[in-house]
Amino acid sequence: MPKKESLKKKNVKPTPVNFQETILNLQKFWGNYGCVILQPYDMEVGAGTFHPATTLRSLGPKPWKAAYVQPSRRPTDGRYGKNPNRLQHYYQFQVIIKPSPDEIKKVFLKSLSVIGINHKEHDIRFVEDDWESPTLGAAGLGWEVWCDGMEITQFTYFQQMTGIECKPVSVELTYGLERICMFTQGKNNVFDLEWNNDGIKYRDIFYQAEKEYSAYNFEFANSEYLLKNFKIAEAECKALLKKKISLPAYDQCLKASHIFNLLDARGIIGVAQRTEYISRIRELAKGSGQCWLESQK
Amino acid sequence: MPELFIELFSEEIPAKLQIDARQRIKELLEERFKKKEIKFESSASFSTPKRLVFVIDGISEKIEEKQKILKGPKVGSPQVALDGFIKSNNLNKSHIYNKKIDKGDFYFAKTKAQVIDVSKELELIIPEVLKSYSWKKSMKWANYELNWGRPLKSIVVIFNNKKINFNFYHLKNNDSIYIDETSELKPKKVNNFNSYLKIIESQNIVLDHTKRKKIILDKMEKICNKKNLIKNFNKNLMEEVVNLVERPNIIVGEFDETYLKIPEEILIITMQKHQKYFPLFDVKNKLTNLFLLVANLPDKSGYIKKGNQRVVEARLSDAKFFWEKNKNQSLVKQVSKLKTLSFFNQLGTFYEKTQRLRKLSNLISEQLFLSKEKVEISSSICKADLVSDLVGEYPELQGIMGKYFAQEQGFEDDVSDAISDHYLPAGVDSEVPKKKLGSAVALLDKIDTLVGFFGINEKPTSSKDPFALRRTAIGILRIIMENKLTIKLKDLIGYSIVLYKEQNIKLTNVSTAQDILIFLKERFKNLLKDRKIRNDIIEAASSSNTENDFLELYKKCLIINKSILNDSYKSIVASYKRASNIIDQELKIQSVKIIGLPEPILFKKEEEKNLFEKINEIRKYFSSVKKEEIYTDTLNMLSGAKNATDNFFDNVIVNDENPDIKKNRLELLQMFCKTYNNFIDLSKIEGV
Repeated sequence: MPKKESLKKKNVKPTPVNFQETILNLQKFWGNYGCVILQPYDMEVGAGTFHPATTLRSLGPKPWKAAYVQPSRRPTDGRYGKNPNRLQHYYQFQVIIKPSPDEIKKVFLKSLSVIGINHKEHDIRFVEDDWESPTLGAAGLGWEVWCDGMEITQFTYFQQMTGIECKPVSVELTYGLERICMFTQGKNNVFDLEWNNDGIKYRDIFYQAEKEYSAYNFEFANSEYLLKNFKIAEAECKALLKKKISLPAYDQCLKASHIFNLLDARGIIGVAQRTEYISRIRELAKGSGQCWLESQK
Repeated sequence: MPELFIELFSEEIPAKLQIDARQRIKELLEERFKKKEIKFESSASFSTPKRLVFVIDGISEKIEEKQKILKGPKVGSPQVALDGFIKSNNLNKSHIYNKKIDKGDFYFAKTKAQVIDVSKELELIIPEVLKSYSWKKSMKWANYELNWGRPLKSIVVIFNNKKINFNFYHLKNNDSIYIDETSELKPKKVNNFNSYLKIIESQNIVLDHTKRKKIILDKMEKICNKKNLIKNFNKNLMEEVVNLVERPNIIVGEFDETYLKIPEEILIITMQKHQKYFPLFDVKNKLTNLFLLVANLPDKSGYIKKGNQRVVEARLSDAKFFWEKNKNQSLVKQVSKLKTLSFFNQLGTFYEKTQRLRKLSNLISEQLFLSKEKVEISSSICKADLVSDLVGEYPELQGIMGKYFAQEQGFEDDVSDAISDHYLPAGVDSEVPKKKLGSAVALLDKIDTLVGFFGINEKPTSSKDPFALRRTAIGILRIIMENKLTIKLKDLIGYSIVLYKEQNIKLTNVSTAQDILIFLKERFKNLLKDRKIRNDIIEAASSSNTENDFLELYKKCLIINKSILNDSYKSIVASYKRASNIIDQELKIQSVKIIGLPEPILFKKEEEKNLFEKINEIRKYFSSVKKEEIYTDTLNMLSGAKNATDNFFDNVIVNDENPDIKKNRLELLQMFCKTYNNFIDLSKIEGV
C-alpha cells in the first residue's frame, strides 16, 4: 500500500458513534435487512433472549426476523455506580432470525461498520462459547465475538428453547451496547459514555438509578413480599397454562424469573435452593413454550 | 500418481473439535481406502478454524479386481439369505449357480475380473466418511439436516485434478474455494493441493498447523530473548491459540505495573484463561506486566494492541477492586456467611461442614502429633474464601485466595498454606499437600465428603461419579502414601458419622463406614497397579492384618514386590506352594479336617521335629513383632526355614502307611501354611 494513503487514513479520525446513534444505526441496518424492528418488552428481564419475540418465536417452523433493543436487569451485578464496568441495568441489542441465513456472519460483520468498527482493522475473533440458559431450558452453540480482545457480541445458533428442539434453527445476535460504545468511544468508564452529541452522558441518565437500584436489590427489597410474589406468579402461570393462554402465562414466567433474580441478590437463596428455583422457573418456561407452539398449529 | 484433495470450509470450529476432526477424518479415509484395497503413498491433514484439509497422495487410478468365487447360503435357505448374499456382493441373479460340496448343496457365484475407476469409488467413499465421523459436540443450523461442529459452508473434493461429483446433505461438491466468507474475493477455482496452497498463501493464511505453531513459537521466543524473559509458554494454551488463528501475528502488550501488587494467580488466570494471552515472567520467574497475544491479522493501525491492553486493564481493575475489598475481610468473621452456602442438598451448608471439620481436628491432631489449635483454626477457615467476591469471579482460585487473605491477616504460614493445600491433590498430576497441617485438613475435608455422600447413598457407579468421590478417595490414599502418614481411618470415619448425626443430618446408609473402607481398598489396589505393583501381591498383602492402615500396606507391598522374586526369597513361596499342594491333593481324595495342629508325639523323623521347631520359632517372631513389623526381617525369618522345609520334603513321605502319622504330617504342613499366612496370604501369589 502506498505510504501517503495510509497516512491520510490515520489523520481522518471518524467521530465515534454516540450511544443513541449506535442503537438507531443498528435498527436501521437490521431493518433494511428485513427484520421487524420491535420495541423493548415492557417487563423486567435478565436478557434480550427473554423477550417473547425471541423465546417463543424461535419455536416452530414459521420464519421470523426481528431486532430490538432490550434493557436487561441483573440485580446481582449492581455496584452502586462505583464500578466502571458493571451495571445492574444495561442495554442489549438483539437480532433473531429463523432460519439462520447462510450469509449471517458476513452480514453481522457488515453491521459492525455502522457502529464504528471496521472489521478489517480490528482483530475480530469467534471464540467458542456454548450457551445455556437453565431457566429457559435453552441451549445453543456459537461464539463470543471478540473485537481486539473484548467481547462485543454473543453469536448463537439455538438448538433448544424451553426444552423444545429448534427446527429450523434460529440464529441470535446479542450486541452488548455499553461495551461496544466504550470501545468505539474509547472510554474506560461506562458512565462517561456519550449518549448523544449534545453533551448528555450515560452518567446523567443512569448514575442515580444504579445507586438506588443497587440499594434496593441488595438491601431493601422486601424478601418476604418477593417470596410471596414468586409463588403468586408461579401459580398464575400454571393456571393460565391450563387455560391455554400462552402469552400472559409467559409474562408470569418472566415475573417469577425476575423475582428470583432479586431474591438471589438479597442473598437469601442457598446454592441447593437455587437449583430448585431455577427448575421451577424452567417448568413455567417449558409450559409456556409448549402452549405457544400448540397455539400456532 | 493422482492425488486426492479435500477442503471442508466452515464457520470457526473450536480448537478441540478441530483437532479431533483433523485427525479422525484422516484416519477414517485411510481405513476406507484400505478396506477397498485402494493403494496410496502418503496422507496428511491440516486445519485452521475455518478449514479442514486432507490430502492423500500417490493413489492408484484403478483397482484391479480379480475373478473370485463366492460361497453363498445353502440351497433351500430362506430367500432373504440369498437376496442378502446377492446384494452385499453386488451380484446379479444370473451369476448364481448351485454346487454340491461336502456339506451339501450351496449357492455360488463367480465374479468377473474387473477394473474399477477409483474416482467412481470416491464418489461413494467421501460422503460415507464424512457421514461416519461423529463430532464430540455438534449442531444444526438453518433448516438443514446435517450435524457438524459449526456450520459447514462448502466442500471441495478434487481427485487427479478433477472434481469428484457427489452430494452431502444440502451441499454439493465444488471445485472453487472461499478465502473467507466475508471477503469480497470471488471463490477461486483450484485443481489440486498445490494450486490451493498458492491461493491460500497469497492471502497470508498459514494452513499447516505445525507451521503455524512454529511461526508463533519462534516469534515469541525471539521477543523473550530480546527482553530477557523466560521462554516457557503454557502448552494447552499454545495448542488452543495455534488453532484459533489463520494468519498469526504476535503482539506484545503491557498493563500498568501497579496491578502486579495483587496476587499473581489472578493476573495469570485473567490473561491466560479469559483473554488467551501468554503472561511473561522474568528470569527470576516473577510475573511481569508484559504479555503476548496472538492476533489473526497484522496490527496496521495499532488498534489491536491498544484495544487488548484496555480490556485487560479493565478486567484487572475489577479484580483489584475486589482484592482491596476482600483481603481485609476477616476470614474468621466470613465463616458465618457460609451458612448461606449449601454444601449439598441433604448434607447441610459449608458452615456445618467446617464445624464438623473443626471437631474432627482433635482426633487427627493426636494421630499426626500436630497442634490441635492449628488444625482447628485451619479447618474452620479453610472454606471462608468461598463467599468472597474474588472466588465468585474466579472459582478456580478457591483456596488460593483464602491463602492470600490469611497471609494479609497475619495467620502463620502453615495455616495459610493449609487453606490452599487442603484442596490437593486436585487431579492425577497434582501434588499432595507439602506440609503436615495441610495434609491433615485435606484428609478431614475429604473424609467428611466421603462420609456425607456415602451416608446418603450417593455412591459412585461404574459410569457415573458426579461428586468426584473417586478422586476424593484417591486423594486420601495419595496423601497417606506420599506423605507417609499413619492414620486411623476407621476412627476418623466413625467419628465423622457421629458428627453428622449431632447436626441432625440423616445418614440413611447403615454401612457407611464399611462401604467407604471397601471403596478405599479398591482405589488403593488401582493406585498400586499404576505403580507397577503386581496385582497378586496386592491381593495377598491386603488380606493380611494390616487392614485399613494403608501406609503399612503400601510399604509391605513395595517390599514384597521388590523381593519376592529374589533368589533368596523365592523359597518362601515355593515351599508354601509345595506344602499347600500336598494338602489340596489330599483334600481332593477325602474330606478330612486339617486344622494345623500336629501332635509332637507322632513325629517319627528328625526332619519333622526340626520343621515343627522352626515353625514355632516363626510363630514366636510374629507374636513379638505384631506392632512394628520390619518386613525384610520377616522375609529373612521365613526364608530361614528353607533348610528345614527342604529336608522335610526330601526325606519325609507324607503319604505314610499309618493313617495317623499321615494325618499328623498333613497337620504339620497346614501349621506351616497358616503360620506363613500371618505375613501375607501366600496362596494368592502366582507363579514361582
